[in-house]
Amino acid sequence: MATTATNKELETRRTVRPVGNIWEEEGTVMLRLEMPGVTKDNIELRIENDQLFVRGHRDMHDEDQTYVIRERVRGDFAQTYTLDDTIDRERIDARMERGILTVTLHLKEAVKPRKIEVKAR
Amino acid sequence: MNLVRRRNPANVNRDTGVDQLQRSINRLFDFDWDLDRDLDLFGGVSGPSVDLMENDDTYMVRCDLPGVEKDDLDISVSGNALTIKGEKQDSSEHKDGRYYRRESWSGSFQRTITVPETVDPDAINAEMKNGVLTLTLPKKEDVKPRQITVDVK
Repeated sequence: MATTATNKELETRRTVRPVGNIWEEEGTVMLRLEMPGVTKDNIELRIENDQLFVRGHRDMHDEDQTYVIRERVRGDFAQTYTLDDTIDRERIDARMERGILTVTLHLKEAVKPRKIEVKAR
Repeated sequence: MNLVRRRNPANVNRDTGVDQLQRSINRLFDFDWDLDRDLDLFGGVSGPSVDLMENDDTYMVRCDLPGVEKDDLDISVSGNALTIKGEKQDSSEHKDGRYYRRESWSGSFQRTITVPETVDPDAINAEMKNGVLTLTLPKKEDVKPRQITVDVK
């Protein structure tokens, strides 16, 4: 699975790339994206052909406040990933917990490592 | 009223030659995300980022702490120094997974920010929601802005 540059669509809002970990584990490819301030309902996750779009919308506008220190990144979190043929498009799970989005991409059965027993005669 | 203008610590020392080079290279490779943040070609995320806001009644601190449990946080005020201490655990660690990409940091962290001395330390309220810590620090009564009418004679 390869990543492309930042998502160029919906560029009316400023987007930032979320901090992400990607790893393979027990027949799945796991995607862990840090999206502080994003709720479950503000996540947009969709697949188009070989592209997986992830977007986390967050509103950071605080009324009547003057900033003294301003370090936090503004904008939505967005990233696009390219899925290869080993990913089962029909089996994708996502979970949002404490500002972290975890996406589980299952590998197709055909590409999962199999152990072949060798029978001795 | 605080008359000292604060600089964004993330932007201090940002105009050295090395940083300009870094920015140029990032631009070249289309790393067009937030360059104020230490997340680019030669950077790594160094710690939680903090906002400090002010209105008439309160100071408000917001801190991005994705994945951090409420119980793993220790918030203390000493004089006018507000310290947020904690432990960021990576739940995906310790598994024998094969990493393709690993950008998150984990471990203990500590941030201290200077809050104007006018805060009531006993009235600080902390809330952890969706990976964002929000601290509300009410100002003491005597420093709230008051309207003073000046009679012009």
